[in-house]
Amino acid sequence: MNNKRVVITGIGVIAANAVGREAFSKAIFDGASGIKPISLFNTAGFKVKTAGEVADFKPQDFLGDKGLRTLDRSTKLAASATKLAIDDSSVEISDENSRAFGVSMGSTFGSISSVSNFDREALTEGPRYVNPGLFPNTVINSPASQVSIKFNIKGFNATISSAFCAGLDAIGYAADQIRLGRAKTVFAGGVEELCEQLFLGFYKTDCLAGLNGPEICAPFDKRRNGILLGEGACVLVLEDLDAALMRKAHIYAEVLGFGMSFGPGNLGRAISLALKESGLNAAQIDFVSSCANSTKELDSEETRALKEAFGPSVSKIQVGAVKSMLGECYSASGSLQVAAAIAGIARQEAFPTVNYEELDPDCDLNYVVNKAKSCKINKALIIASGKTGYNSSLIISKYQ
Amino acid sequence: MPGVEEDIRNLVATIIEKDPNEINPDANFFKDLGVDSMMALEILAAIEKKYKISIPEEKLAQLTTLNQTIAVAKEFIK
Repeated sequence: MNNKRVVITGIGVIAANAVGREAFSKAIFDGASGIKPISLFNTAGFKVKTAGEVADFKPQDFLGDKGLRTLDRSTKLAASATKLAIDDSSVEISDENSRAFGVSMGSTFGSISSVSNFDREALTEGPRYVNPGLFPNTVINSPASQVSIKFNIKGFNATISSAFCAGLDAIGYAADQIRLGRAKTVFAGGVEELCEQLFLGFYKTDCLAGLNGPEICAPFDKRRNGILLGEGACVLVLEDLDAALMRKAHIYAEVLGFGMSFGPGNLGRAISLALKESGLNAAQIDFVSSCANSTKELDSEETRALKEAFGPSVSKIQVGAVKSMLGECYSASGSLQVAAAIAGIARQEAFPTVNYEELDPDCDLNYVVNKAKSCKINKALIIASGKTGYNSSLIISKYQ
Repeated sequence: MPGVEEDIRNLVATIIEKDPNEINPDANFFKDLGVDSMMALEILAAIEKKYKISIPEEKLAQLTTLNQTIAVAKEFIK
């Protein structure tokens, strides 16, 4: 790996509480929740009725009227967020430079509804009568591929499918590609759609809030009892610093380091590896964009891992959990958390964890609760982890 | 076979995202109307599904205009 520096020069967000970088920043600092009654499918007969749904999503607002007919929701969310990121960064893609651009997209459950619908048509109409135009949606790399096709991106194209960590891992992978000189600019992030099949899976495995307690998304709160699903897409423009300076791009933040680990109880190692790659010590981190998702296990495990990695300095760090407003957006979560952390750096403010009421002795860090708080944020740690065993950490800093 | 011509015109128009009345029935799908290979397969599958018929794959090469598509479909619609 060489000494190339990687910076973030564009942000495209489609989230349950806002669309677009500026609106998203305002929403999370206002503590605006995107959790609402589900309208995408019928929840009659289920105990859980709410999720972080992107209501009234109109992909034609971002992508035009044509060429959307056969694309599934995940692909349209990812392509729309990419368009917002391209516009935000003012980067120009042409036939001459398109090989210098890459796509790195986190997506895990993205095709579950497409596979299900494709199969349903074959079963009900007969295999002869399925629509071949819908077949490309049935693969997990559909969102990344369509982004490259739609925006004429001819460098590398990768899909990272690592569950709760996919969005963050996609950013880590993109940064490596730039440092290795394999791309100048990468559209990196994650996407996940809310659908009945995913809801059913989480419902039947007893993972949702509301099945064993109140239907709330309240990270770190003693009342927490499971996740509320969310959806969305967040794509960042990662760019080689020299290329960004050459085109006089606005630089939101610099990517300093990344770490991964696998296995329960192993999140601390991912954090330590990210610190090591960044060349920082724990005391230099000002803010943690937490992955806490209102589950008993994850929120307390993240608390324990932060104590393990940071030691006594953990008490000085502000911690905010954006999933309290968005729900668990799975593969999109990590990149949304990064966008939220970048907003914090720009505003020098920590966004809040909303719905917080009751202290849990297992979660006793310096959480920013219910209301944003002014504080110095030059360096932020973003954490992704989940019960599937993946752990990842990314460190970004104010560009200096 | 009343309605077949209009139905197939509408079906093709939906797939190629054009107004049905804009389609010249003798315009070449690929050269004039921007149809790609996936859309051609979609047109074939959509006709089969609508009329519950099977059109042999070798007929696909003949689906190059709206008029030819209607003619091929009529061979199989009872």
